[in-house]
Amino acid sequence: MAAPADNRREAFEREALPLLDAVYRVALRLAGDEAQADDLVQETMLKAYRSWHQYKSGTNVRAWLLTILRHTFINEYRKKKRAGPTVDVGEIEGYHVFHEVQEADPEGNFFDQIVDDEVLRAIDSLPEEFRETLVLSDVEQLTYAEIAEVTGVPVGTVKSRLFRARQALQQKLYDYALEMGYIKRVER
Amino acid sequence: MNAPRKIDCQEAAERLYEYLDGELTPDSEAEVRAHLDDCAPCFKLLGFEDAYLSFLRARTRAHQAPEHLKKKIFEQVLFDQDSAS
Ligand SMILES: [Zn+2]
Repeated sequence: MAAPADNRREAFEREALPLLDAVYRVALRLAGDEAQADDLVQETMLKAYRSWHQYKSGTNVRAWLLTILRHTFINEYRKKKRAGPTVDVGEIEGYHVFHEVQEADPEGNFFDQIVDDEVLRAIDSLPEEFRETLVLSDVEQLTYAEIAEVTGVPVGTVKSRLFRARQALQQKLYDYALEMGYIKRVER
Repeated sequence: MNAPRKIDCQEAAERLYEYLDGELTPDSEAEVRAHLDDCAPCFKLLGFEDAYLSFLRARTRAHQAPEHLKKKIFEQVLFDQDSAS
């Protein structure tokens, strides 16, 4: 019979390690640079491994790992303040970009010209609670209930943060597309 | 089955992301769908926001954990001496 440590290793390899890419993607957006994301992921996985006995097999291992990641980030990494401008999500007028482009580009074709790095940069300029909500939803495809669990807020807060984050990001990408000439501003 | 309750454009717009995310209850989803079927401007908005969310997914999911990190985790986490039970 295998020792308990081997059982744990096997279970951890089978259930937790396949989520390493997801944990890394979220870490990268939280930490803002690759070196810190590396450390953050390593620490998260080590903590998860050491507390594997607290994880109930068959429950949501992804949400469990991302919760550990988030706590680790808040407690140990956030002190190192991120640089860079922050997008204002305070005054979000719903669907403003759509109203601007609905005649010229109702299918949003201008988005296709915006490259990955530019999208990630724009995501990184969102305030933290909006950024994490958007990343968990739109990058990692967590449900609202899972995001609420990971971020420790009610589902209603997830909904409103997600709405504002998506709209603020869309406005930022639209402004960028205008600046780059991917789309022309409609004169009214 | 009863016909879904009628909702206006504002209600439909408020629930649009939940509709796209598959987060509505069946009744609420039926109300939004009925409105979208009838209302060309809201249907157009749906198409635009749907394209936006697909674009976001496509642009952000490519990143994978780097090989050196995977290796480190295999070596240091899985053979962590402190967690030997
Ligand atoms: Zn309508």
